[in-house]
Amino acid sequence: MIPYYTRFFFIAMGVILLQVLVFDQMNLFGYSNPSVYVLLLIIYRLDLDQFGFIIIAFFLGFFVDLITQAAGANSLACVSIAFVRPLISRFALGTNYDQPNAVFTNTLLSNRLLYYLLMIVIHHLIYSFMAYFSIDHFGTILLYTMVNSILSWVLITASISLLKPKK
Amino acid sequence: MQWILNAIIRYKNFLLYLFFVVLSLYFSSTQSSFHQNRLSQTSIFIAGIIYQPFDQLNSYFNLVDENKRLMSENNTLKNLVLEKFNQSELLDLEEENLAGPKYWSLPAKIIRNSFTKSRNILLIDKGKKDGVLDEMGVIGPRGIIGIINQTSRNHASVVSILYQDLKINAKFKNSNVFGSLYWEGGPPNQMHLEDISIINPVEVGDTIVTGGMSSYFPEGIPIGKIHSFELPDNGGYYQITIDLFTNMTDLNYVYVIGNNDREEINTLLESKR
Repeated sequence: MIPYYTRFFFIAMGVILLQVLVFDQMNLFGYSNPSVYVLLLIIYRLDLDQFGFIIIAFFLGFFVDLITQAAGANSLACVSIAFVRPLISRFALGTNYDQPNAVFTNTLLSNRLLYYLLMIVIHHLIYSFMAYFSIDHFGTILLYTMVNSILSWVLITASISLLKPKK
Repeated sequence: MQWILNAIIRYKNFLLYLFFVVLSLYFSSTQSSFHQNRLSQTSIFIAGIIYQPFDQLNSYFNLVDENKRLMSENNTLKNLVLEKFNQSELLDLEEENLAGPKYWSLPAKIIRNSFTKSRNILLIDKGKKDGVLDEMGVIGPRGIIGIINQTSRNHASVVSILYQDLKINAKFKNSNVFGSLYWEGGPPNQMHLEDISIINPVEVGDTIVTGGMSSYFPEGIPIGKIHSFELPDNGGYYQITIDLFTNMTDLNYVYVIGNNDREEINTLLESKR
């Protein structure tokens, strides 16, 4: 298990650096802000204890908040998707939802894409809502969620195919 | 007692989630308030370490464009100096000159820009050691950029004008009609002006500048031009949309504006409360 966490830690460092230095600087359509670091919460092994996963998710979000000065929005979005992930994986990945590598293999591609999408959309919805924190901006929140989710989904799907463990 | 322990163990994930939700909301409530940025000292320090090397590399590739921009800015400044010189000669402002300048500026470089969030915070490469203090104004070559929020030794964070809770005193360039400038999210090139009474004439294309009614900015710093305005069905104030002069998505060099009378103004304001 220790090699897994060590590997996960180094991947996390790399992804966070890419997030703050590259993806946060993107300016497609004037307001795109893809959260590619969510892939860390997507690829985290599904068979591991959820208690530890929620803690990791909080510190991941907190660290991104600290760097981007986003005032708790990433922390809340991350712990929320960590909490609901068992439901999402059960719903989206089908019978093999609790396999260690279900995110990469042993499941249908369509199921995996749905799982990525649900995780990303929920993250962006909570993040945008926290960022605006006003029902008056409901339209803007939905628009940002939609645009950023699609962009994050494409980037995360491409990144996950690179991180796929070799047989 | 046993059943309480059992319940805690059974619902430990939910309780942990609840704990982190409360903690995140606490961070959010303390940070979104303009003056209560408790974590930002650490945040500025970490962000400075991460962004500075990347920015230095990036600057190298942008040298040609930056040179052109600086040449153009120098030209504008030179014209302003000449204009001021001519005015001084005509109006004999010697007394004012003896009193020393009210405002001074310090060039700084943006090492992290942000414009896609609802509350955007920028990072500059000047901090306490350069004399930068909280609540100083920051302007760019084409207009206002924001207000210093927090400073560390080497860096400072700037609350961008693209920040939902921020309101800036502004006025029409050709009259003394004042209003409040704010951003409600959306495109980073447009802001709104409120509190302009319908008794005042408004035209599309009118220039909006800073009002000078705070210690952040001197009067007359350009902000933008009126893009459109609406007459409300009921109520006596226009709903005005402004096109900003500054391209907030493409910032590089800025100036921190210091006000020598700041302490005096703040003391007066404090005593009035």
